[in-house]
Amino acid sequence: MLLEQVLFFVAAAGAIGGALGVVLLRNPFFSVLALVAHLISLALLFLLLRAEFIAAAQLVVYAGAVMVLYVFVVAYVGGVEETVGGEGAIGRVGPVFAGALLVELCIAIIGSALPAIDSRGPHVAAGFGSPGAIGKLLLEKFLIPFEAASFLLLVAAVGAVVLARRRRGLEDSVG
Amino acid sequence: MTRLPLASVSFVESTGVQIVKAVVIFAFVLVVVPMILLLERKLLGRFQARLGPNRVGPYGLLQPLADVLKLLSKERFTPSTAVPWMMAMAPAISIFTAVVTLAIIPFGDVRRHGLFGASYGLYGIDVSIGILWAFAFGALAFYGLMLGGWASGSKYSFLGAMRSAAQLISYEVSLGLSLVGVVITAGSLSLTQIVNSQDHIWYVVPQFVGFCIFMVAAFAETNRPPFDLPEADAEIVAGYNTEFGGMRFGSFFMAEYINMVAIAGIATAMFLGGWHGPGPGWLDPIWVLVKMFGFIVLFIWIRATLPRLRYDQLMAFGWKILLPLATVNALVTAILVAT
Repeated sequence: MLLEQVLFFVAAAGAIGGALGVVLLRNPFFSVLALVAHLISLALLFLLLRAEFIAAAQLVVYAGAVMVLYVFVVAYVGGVEETVGGEGAIGRVGPVFAGALLVELCIAIIGSALPAIDSRGPHVAAGFGSPGAIGKLLLEKFLIPFEAASFLLLVAAVGAVVLARRRRGLEDSVG
Repeated sequence: MTRLPLASVSFVESTGVQIVKAVVIFAFVLVVVPMILLLERKLLGRFQARLGPNRVGPYGLLQPLADVLKLLSKERFTPSTAVPWMMAMAPAISIFTAVVTLAIIPFGDVRRHGLFGASYGLYGIDVSIGILWAFAFGALAFYGLMLGGWASGSKYSFLGAMRSAAQLISYEVSLGLSLVGVVITAGSLSLTQIVNSQDHIWYVVPQFVGFCIFMVAAFAETNRPPFDLPEADAEIVAGYNTEFGGMRFGSFFMAEYINMVAIAGIATAMFLGGWHGPGPGWLDPIWVLVKMFGFIVLFIWIRATLPRLRYDQLMAFGWKILLPLATVNALVTAILVAT
């Protein structure tokens, strides 16, 4: 399966390059575009993993909706050079947490990937990753986590609106 | 379902057939766009009590050729504030996503031992995720407009891009939800299976509300009047493509028309029974083309009839009327199918 391997390395390089671009590029607009490239590469990786529905959802939800909002905001307020972090307690604790997270992820990924390197990988049953199978899993086996996650997202969205209104004093204007 | 390296499809042709199909789809695009262009100008002329183009060739039939030659020979201008590589990339994204969407439109079922003894399906590709393919690439199509507008480094372009961003996310949700009813009724995402399940009744009848929502949202998604706010020429010159000239502008223009063809094809397959129609089997692709032609004439007719919406009207309509209606339609369909 030469084609699969070529596609894997193209997608993997795109994913890593995109992720690096998000962090390293100075212009926030290009950072967001790098993130889009990263997400598209991830969608390609999902395709290689036989998860067509997840790949399509990745494109529709993340590249198509979430990143559109990012692009929207960055294009409006872009060009503003704001230093991130470096102030107060958050600035000192932040890097420590980020480092700890990196170490933890590395342990998890390498721990599971190294033993699997000589194996054939998991057996994929027919119908795996199809929209029907995913719907069944979400609404039967994982119903409570699924609903909890949607509730959490709703709380986050409402919270963001409330915070934005308080900070900018928008309650005085027409809303 | 057969597994290819990247996707599961219901039927795999030989490589030669796949190449032929890819070439045919691309040739179809290149041929059909100038024809629609001429049709639109002729019809718009008639709607406005004019003759339309009638100077180049007999009945003005060669007008598209003249237009393309003019665009090809024009200067490729880049403003000093622009990002040149991105200005080159943006029209390419638009064209790519538009043509790719055409691949899933079915013109007929799988033919076993048809022409030259080969077996083939009369569609580009029948992926298991079906209609989601169109949404995935429709989501990416936004970046063509957005990057084009942003990279131009001009306020008019930027405003047009921002409008298109807001408009596309607002109406994409309704577009998706309007098709959920059809998907639930057919029990499949694949366009060929959806068409196959319409042999008794076209889904435009049981899913009439969904059809209406789909058409309105489709006008918004393709930036066609009355939803052409991204390039409202009376307000922001020409929106996201203001700074584009020559064939780069031509590419944006072409992508808009390919999108129109793709949406017409999806509407035909989802609501109008696709290739179903009276007559022998070889008429199937003709029926699809006839139905698509009807949609395209409707697109042009609406353009000649309705004035452009105001921006707040567009947003209020999308979020306060269309989205709740689409949600209720999907819910009611789900309840009716389940009982």
